[in-house]
Amino acid sequence: MAPAILLVGILFGVSLIYGLAQSLGLLTGTDQRALSLAAYQNVLYGSEGRGTEFWTSLGFSLWVAGVSTLLSAVGALPVAAWLNYQNGRGRQMDTLALNWNLAFPHLVWAIGLLLFFSQSGLLARLAALLGWIQNPADFPVLVRDRLGIGIIVDYVTKEIPFLALIVLAALRSQPEDYGVVAANLGATPWQRLRFVTLPQIFPSLISGSLLVFAFVFSAYEVPSVLGMPYPRMLPVLALDFFANPDLHHRAEGMAISLIIAAIVVIAAAISLHYEKHAGSSQ
Amino acid sequence: MKHIVPFLLLLTILLSACSAIAGTANPSSTSFDINDWDSVVAAAKGQTVTWYLWGGSESINSFVDAFYGKALKDRYGITLHRVPVADTVDAVNQVLSEKQAGKDPGAVDLIWINGANFLSLKQANLLYPDWANKLPNSLLVNWDNPAINRDFGTPVDNLESPWSSAQFQFIYDSARLNPAELPRSYAQLKEWVIEHPGRFTYIAPGPGAFQGTRFVKGALFEISGGADQWSTFDQATWDQWSPELWKYLNELKPYLWRNGETYPKDENELHSLFANQEVDFSITQAAVGAGALIEQGLVPATSKAFVFDQYMIGDFNYVAIPANAPNKAAALVLANLILDPELQAAQILPENGFGLGYGIDINRVTDPAALVKLQDAAKKLGDAATSPVDLAKSLAGDSDAQYQNLVETGWRQNVLVSSK
Repeated sequence: MAPAILLVGILFGVSLIYGLAQSLGLLTGTDQRALSLAAYQNVLYGSEGRGTEFWTSLGFSLWVAGVSTLLSAVGALPVAAWLNYQNGRGRQMDTLALNWNLAFPHLVWAIGLLLFFSQSGLLARLAALLGWIQNPADFPVLVRDRLGIGIIVDYVTKEIPFLALIVLAALRSQPEDYGVVAANLGATPWQRLRFVTLPQIFPSLISGSLLVFAFVFSAYEVPSVLGMPYPRMLPVLALDFFANPDLHHRAEGMAISLIIAAIVVIAAAISLHYEKHAGSSQ
Repeated sequence: MKHIVPFLLLLTILLSACSAIAGTANPSSTSFDINDWDSVVAAAKGQTVTWYLWGGSESINSFVDAFYGKALKDRYGITLHRVPVADTVDAVNQVLSEKQAGKDPGAVDLIWINGANFLSLKQANLLYPDWANKLPNSLLVNWDNPAINRDFGTPVDNLESPWSSAQFQFIYDSARLNPAELPRSYAQLKEWVIEHPGRFTYIAPGPGAFQGTRFVKGALFEISGGADQWSTFDQATWDQWSPELWKYLNELKPYLWRNGETYPKDENELHSLFANQEVDFSITQAAVGAGALIEQGLVPATSKAFVFDQYMIGDFNYVAIPANAPNKAAALVLANLILDPELQAAQILPENGFGLGYGIDINRVTDPAALVKLQDAAKKLGDAATSPVDLAKSLAGDSDAQYQNLVETGWRQNVLVSSK
């Protein structure tokens, strides 16, 4: 464990310290030499549109991450249950199908969705060709939309397999006896699911979901490809500030990044708590 | 956790030691006197010049290799190492990180640059100073022109030397529209857009999307009745006219592509909407108009460029040398070479793939043979280009750099976000 912690500590520790320094206005390439909280002030309650956009972006990020996580968790349960039900035969094939989906990078998945579902995409052209719509531009707006539906679809389709694998692992490691005992004591199948199976997989499902939430909340590439100029998710906003040619905005970009990091750390801590809980209950 | 803090400290010390070693390991390049051009050329011989430039266009890349790479080798014994970057800000970040890591000499000798990226490096004091006017070919540059001696309103101060020029133009498809129905002013554009809902959009103004900012500034110029008052910054002028500008753009908004709810984020996205027939106009900055884009297959072969009668903003782009460039002499020779009249004539021809306009003032060229070449090239811009007369007639200089941010943040707040 120790070398791994050391490596992670160095890689993340140094970047974190560096990021903190930049968010306080140091090392941004400007001539500022004193610590300043101006970047945080501008971001949190600045008047120049930045302050207001931060809160919109925070809300939008919470919305996208929350909905994606919820739908993924709800979707993963039946998939895992169904796979678990397929005892013996075909087991490996099913898990392979899930792993295959995981092998796609999010960026590739997002661009794939864009090529399929955008108004100049394959489906739009096909629909126009078949005469369902007059021209491709009449196709409904499914990606790059105001509600972030395209982004959510990307995450849900990618995270259901991920969470299903986690739940499946919990299900398969569970001794069958509990279910048998419950059945012996007269539990209906529904009662067995509700009072025996679900409590056993819940801790792993919740900790997995929190990881998904943290990931979706802090990832850049999918909202960058499938998002709109407004509203933007926080990572997109952060990079936009950081890449602003006016070096004074770098500190603000870093401040947003650190706020994202803080929220992710909170999610990770809760997740860790549940994982421990899951470990001790077994 | 307890052990991590001392370890990080140790690491920091080690890292700074490394950069100190790196700093001394490479001796500085052969010395030269910038005022004695022969000494520059002598020092540059045998050097490799590393040029960071936007590499998004294959035709520009091959133009650079074929024309400059060869001439550098043949005439000066210099090797050209072209580093394509996805966005010029990557080159800026490279130089900034080198400074933060204390790396001198760095990796970059020359950067193709203008506007905000130039401002970044100038602001951070990371550019090699006092050289642009010392190049022999600098005599061919009209340094009295404010469009040249100011880069997006930022004084150039001999920190960069021009390469080529560009001017805002629209593109239409002659198979879809005929020239008579084209709008020739922002007022006419509004009428056209209202008559053709959903068929027009522009690039979202913002950092890295100066074409969109330029479209909006053109509207500002027309609404306020002139471009000249915008060449110096005045808050009162801005406060007076910006509400009119937002009013105009918000009147367009409901009739734009996707009801102005979203906008293409760069030229390529707009070109693809145009090619896909989702909108009827695109935008370009090239002297050859749609020519180079047709060659690349980005827009239909029947595309042509056109301009409004007024307020089509034009500017110059430059090359700059980072202060920590390892091969400054070779970079100076290259910066001088690109102003060579013969190569300037080559750069505007559509078949050579570069397609931007002259960086030099052809009236300053005294060599008759070179002058003929420049004049001939200007006549061969092709059908997809706007006529030079129309370009010149509609040309407006860019506004003071301080308006850039006001236009971009103001547009986000008052047009994009606003539900009006």
